[in-house]
Amino acid sequence: MTKRSASQRHAHSASTAHAHGRKRCLRVLRALSAFIDDELPDDVCIEIRRHLGDCPNCEDFVVSLRQTVALCRHRIAPTLSSADRARMREEILQTAGSR
Amino acid sequence: MSPVSIPHKSNARPAPPAQTSKTFDSLYREHVDLMYRFANRLCGETEAAKDLVQETFLNAYRGFKDFRGDAQVSTWLYTIASRACLRMRRRRKGEPERELSLNEFIPTSEGEFRLQIPVEGLSPEEALQNKELRQALDDAINKLPQKYKMVLVLRDMEGLSAKEVGTIMGLNERAVKSRLHRARLFVRRELSARGVTESVHAQERLSQE
Repeated sequence: MTKRSASQRHAHSASTAHAHGRKRCLRVLRALSAFIDDELPDDVCIEIRRHLGDCPNCEDFVVSLRQTVALCRHRIAPTLSSADRARMREEILQTAGSR
Repeated sequence: MSPVSIPHKSNARPAPPAQTSKTFDSLYREHVDLMYRFANRLCGETEAAKDLVQETFLNAYRGFKDFRGDAQVSTWLYTIASRACLRMRRRRKGEPERELSLNEFIPTSEGEFRLQIPVEGLSPEEALQNKELRQALDDAINKLPQKYKMVLVLRDMEGLSAKEVGTIMGLNERAVKSRLHRARLFVRRELSARGVTESVHAQERLSQE
């Protein structure tokens, strides 16, 4: 996760953010999932990395999207108790037999 | 995931009850935990998840004879569960699903580019020790329209490939990736709009030490 000091961020942000136009930011935003999933050709990745280097907002955005995906991947779901597992099996077999 | 011996469609014949029961037992034993985890992620609460698991295995029980051995059993069960979930949802509320457009995820103010949650310098596992963060993440996922949520759950939480998700949902890979991108952007926006405090996390860590 990229870290920058608040003063660095502010100075960089004020001078260059979106100075190259929003269109490029939108193009990058559309491709970000493919970018973080490593599905893009090398030349497109290089172009996106160059843009991220110039645009702190887009860089923050991609970091936050990576964090979001990482949180989803690590979110643990509850597990079933043995009693519930056995009870549900019985109910399924009973219902299957009765219909 | 080990394949279970299931009759092939070409020589399908009603199996004797004892055989069906034995095959079902092995199918159930090997996959019920997987399906319950998936159902919990889709439904967002345990009672609905149990209903979905029961519906899934009931349909699987009846569908043995139609199962073609050329797909993984888990893929077959994911497909049955996904369809059952959509049916159950339609029964509960009839409103049409909302489409998500990319334009709605473009940040409009400086603060929206980053997540407003304590994750800096933490691994995802450490960050998720924060109860408030877990709740914010669950809320964000549960707010997703169902067809986007299903793709996000299958791809980013169950860890399936885009191709497998496509098979399960009857979509091509491009459509899967498009929905996944929108779903991730939706959850990201929810987490950037909602503040989660560091203090809860710090208190939890202290109480565990």
